[in-house]
Amino acid sequence: MSHHDHHEGHHHVLSDSTALKTILALLSLTVITVAIARVDLGVLNFPVAMFVASVKAVIVCSIFMGLKYENRENTVIFSTSLLFMLIFFILTFGDLLTRGDVYVKGQIIPAELQAAGPSKFSKPWIESPEIIAHGKGLFAAQCTSCHGDGGAGNGPAAAGLNPKPRNFTVGEGWKNGRKGSQIFGTLTKGLNTMPAFGSLPSEDRWALAHYVRTLGPHSAEKDSDADLAKVGVDPNQEGGGGSAEKSIPLEAAIEILSES
Amino acid sequence: MGSTTSVAGQRQHAHHFKNGREEFEACKQGMWIFLVTEVLFFSGLFLAYAILRVFYPEMVAAAHHELDWKMGGLNTVVLLISSWTMARAVSAAQRGQAQKVVSFLLATFICAGIFMCVKYMEYSHKIHEGLLPGSLFSFKDLLSVDKVGLFFSVYFVMTGIHGLHVLIGMGLILWIMKRASRNEFGPNYFTPVEMLGLYWHFVDLVWIYLFPLLYLVS
Ligand code: HEC
Repeated sequence: MSHHDHHEGHHHVLSDSTALKTILALLSLTVITVAIARVDLGVLNFPVAMFVASVKAVIVCSIFMGLKYENRENTVIFSTSLLFMLIFFILTFGDLLTRGDVYVKGQIIPAELQAAGPSKFSKPWIESPEIIAHGKGLFAAQCTSCHGDGGAGNGPAAAGLNPKPRNFTVGEGWKNGRKGSQIFGTLTKGLNTMPAFGSLPSEDRWALAHYVRTLGPHSAEKDSDADLAKVGVDPNQEGGGGSAEKSIPLEAAIEILSES
Repeated sequence: MGSTTSVAGQRQHAHHFKNGREEFEACKQGMWIFLVTEVLFFSGLFLAYAILRVFYPEMVAAAHHELDWKMGGLNTVVLLISSWTMARAVSAAQRGQAQKVVSFLLATFICAGIFMCVKYMEYSHKIHEGLLPGSLFSFKDLLSVDKVGLFFSVYFVMTGIHGLHVLIGMGLILWIMKRASRNEFGPNYFTPVEMLGLYWHFVDLVWIYLFPLLYLVS
């Protein structure tokens, strides 16, 4: 192999003193990282911590891993990974943070329905023509596929379901009951194949409950204070009673990510 | 590699390379490309973590208090020192000091062992307290915090996969130690030690970010 020897350049050997200085620098930076975390810098805490970590990372890459002592090729190769990581982050957050629609367990709730805005109904558990009208709109968008346009339990998706969707036009056969609070409870928790709508703002769930009641025979049964308390409503206090999730559930977000 | 090994790092390079130097550079470039794939692999986890922070900042802030920054800090120091001993092992191999290579690799191995012991203590404490991923989460003080189990899912997956890298590294260190003690490495051939070094420093690199992200968020 002697005739090749002049091709074999000299390998850089890291000197013991450089190695020692490097580890001392890295250890000092670790002390700084911990010290900074214990001081409150407000919004700066995170960027400063990441900056110090990156300084450490550059030191490890350039000296211990030797990028500093060789031609640029491997530095460029390694940097591409950071570039792709950046693209990965930008595309994902560009998507997640700009979704008008909210995903709830694989089902999409259109923006106009979940963005109810400031509450229109101060006590949504009280029946009124306005809230029934509001519920009618929601029902057409969310429920008719199973329960049918008139609420008779004969929507296009009903055929494949067992048990069958409830027929709202009759007063019998209700498992949870027909009172407003009981329907509200069904919507919040779901019932067998009937999906939960807990992610809808609570006033929307009340609106749906009031509307569903109008589809069947008139019922004199009214919610007592105790009934209302069961679903977390204090009748003397304004507000929806029970809150809705406004953020994107993370499981759903991860599901979406893993699908793509 | 289809080449033969003889004493004290004298070694015939594979026939498709012009010389030993070229073979070394090719191996090293391959190693860097592998490290690129490792970054991309970990970036999925870092992204999951970032999503948690962006969507549930209060939850992440509350949950991270259950991690002991002293343990994390100790492990950071231990891993950094192991990077240093690894760098010294590579230099010793380049100088043909077989005995030193073995000693420095042993020191690195011991550091890695300490790291895993500390991790074991942290894990068993968390398992005992019910600070567990997802629906397994049962730590009473934080049960009211929405989605808190997700933080621990991310914590266990990230530190678990990192710990797996440490374990694999420990296995590789033992193997290279054995080869070094057979006097296989010297100024003309130290490729395996160098590659092991790159891998090990990368494992350190990941922890340099994991430590502030998981233990020190504020
Ligand atoms: C995927 C189909 C499906 C959709 C969409 C659906 N439901 Fe249902 N629903 C059902 C089924 C099936 C049942 C019967 C469940 C049972 O008997 O166990 C049911 C039952 C009910 C009941 C009766 C509960 C009881 O006490 O027996 C109410 C009230 C109800 N749904 C309201 C709604 C409202 C309001 C919507 C729209 C927001 C809706 N459902 C959307 C399938 C659906």
